[in-house]
Amino acid sequence: MDDLFLFAPVGGAWQSVSPRLASVRRILVAGVAAAALVAGAVLLLVLPHLWWIGTVVAALAVAGAAWGWIWAGRNQRSWGYAEEADDLLVTRGVLFRRLVAIPYGRMQFVDVQAGPIDRAFGIAKVTLHTASSETAADIPGLPAAEATRLRNRLTELGESRGAGL
Amino acid sequence: MAPVSDGVEAVGRRTHPLTAVAQGVIMAVAVAAGLFGTIVTGDGFGDLHPVLVVLVALAGGLVLGMIGGYVGWLFTRYVIDGTELRIMSGVVTKSSRRIPYERIQSVDIAEPVIARALGLAELRIEMAGGKDSRTSLKFLRLADARDLRRVLLGRAHGEQAAEPAEEHRSVITRVPPDRVMIGTVLSLDFLAAAAGALVLVVLAVWFGGIVVLLGGILPLGTWLAQIVARRVLQQWDFTLSRGERGLRIQRGLLSRTSQTIPYDRVQGIAVKEPFVWRRLGWQRLEVDIAGYAGQDGDDGTSSSTLLPISDPRLAAAVVAELMAGATSDVVPTPVPRRSWPFAPIGWRHRWIGADESAFVARQGWIERTTSIVPHPRTQSVALSQGPLQRWRHVATLAVHTPSGPVNAVGRHLDAGDARAALLAQLDRARASRR
Repeated sequence: MDDLFLFAPVGGAWQSVSPRLASVRRILVAGVAAAALVAGAVLLLVLPHLWWIGTVVAALAVAGAAWGWIWAGRNQRSWGYAEEADDLLVTRGVLFRRLVAIPYGRMQFVDVQAGPIDRAFGIAKVTLHTASSETAADIPGLPAAEATRLRNRLTELGESRGAGL
Repeated sequence: MAPVSDGVEAVGRRTHPLTAVAQGVIMAVAVAAGLFGTIVTGDGFGDLHPVLVVLVALAGGLVLGMIGGYVGWLFTRYVIDGTELRIMSGVVTKSSRRIPYERIQSVDIAEPVIARALGLAELRIEMAGGKDSRTSLKFLRLADARDLRRVLLGRAHGEQAAEPAEEHRSVITRVPPDRVMIGTVLSLDFLAAAAGALVLVVLAVWFGGIVVLLGGILPLGTWLAQIVARRVLQQWDFTLSRGERGLRIQRGLLSRTSQTIPYDRVQGIAVKEPFVWRRLGWQRLEVDIAGYAGQDGDDGTSSSTLLPISDPRLAAAVVAELMAGATSDVVPTPVPRRSWPFAPIGWRHRWIGADESAFVARQGWIERTTSIVPHPRTQSVALSQGPLQRWRHVATLAVHTPSGPVNAVGRHLDAGDARAALLAQLDRARASRR
């Protein structure tokens, strides 16, 4: 049995998020890896007789950067959201996959967040909150205009279908 | 309600003057209890005799607590007006908390033992959402606290009368203390603690090592005492009664608590059947209420217990009363046998199901938990699958509720069943909101 159907959209197709999300994450990964690489180089210079410590740190930094590079791309492609008639569907994950469905009437409030690098790349993260903390529905990597549109639409739908608690 | 007496409303009312005394005694007891711990563990205080130290601490705590309590009381006022309850407090930093009536989830009256001795009570008001959702007003005369609760609950339900009539109440059940005691003794954590204590005593006698005994028996003893204190003292004379606006719980031997659970605030119910109890047909009911957020009270007991011990018939009746038509008696969708690597024993005890009124999930073979979530309370639904689950073609379905004891999750269901249940649950939740 194939489990591919498991995370298929209910109707229509998944809207994917911007590939710029992968770029932003790669920059962050590269930053951390570069810092680790520098740390490894410093260790090599300071402790020449313990050369293997610095080498291991540097090797880990390179391996981590390579893994992060691939992960960023795969993770970005795994995100998807769909605005159905009554619910918002969000899916994510490659290894650990998740699909969450939130009825519009259950939304308490919607957040839009964007860090400095996000803003430079023109993307933002939309987070949906219900009365349950387990809902954990956020959509990162939305183009700024799309994030604003989605927030306004969700807020509007939430108000028109709100059912209190 | 028109602000008839504007002057009085702006100034507000004070809590009871004995608040200062109660705060002082509470502080003194807390300080002495803290010191008692250090004395028992043997940390010295120089040449001072331990008894003297405790006496000084008691007196100091009493004086400081009373001064603090008096000043706090002097600067605390509350106002009930047409739309909200306002509590002004603070000596240096003034704070004014506004509690709009429509956001009130529940109003409880707590009588901590010291305040109770003085005839005082604390009013706790729960609002929806957030961390700081609990507001407490302490202390008031018990009768005043009851009046205020009646007014607040009446206003929360949109009644505008200045003095809402006391609602008609009928007792559903009174749980006798001996039943709670037997239930506690037969619970697994008590049995484990008791068995541990017994093993320690035997070992100590065998090896003659009194040090081993003292080192192990103290924590175990306090654990045992805590279990007994929490269950028996807190749930002494547990009375569940029914009114027009909600259920009321009254409980406690030393400190009394009176909670109101409005019918329309219940987000879900968990039926818990611990290992030994199940053999005897006993159950415990816990409830999810928005605002309680699963937080334990200051008295160390969960405010979410709806029935500490009961037989299945009564439990089912209470569930049906709180959530119209809901029952745990639905057609179950069991998890497939191939999910056994995730739970070698537990997989046989897991299932999910739903009928027109509620979603039901059961799990656990040591403590069996049946979570019941009415469809209109479904916050969101999630499907998830990890790599090992993909290998076994199973998936997890979760129906999300506000945090609390209810955990409506179907772990390691057949992937097809899980997907079908997700779609069906979305349809049912949608239908129930119409």
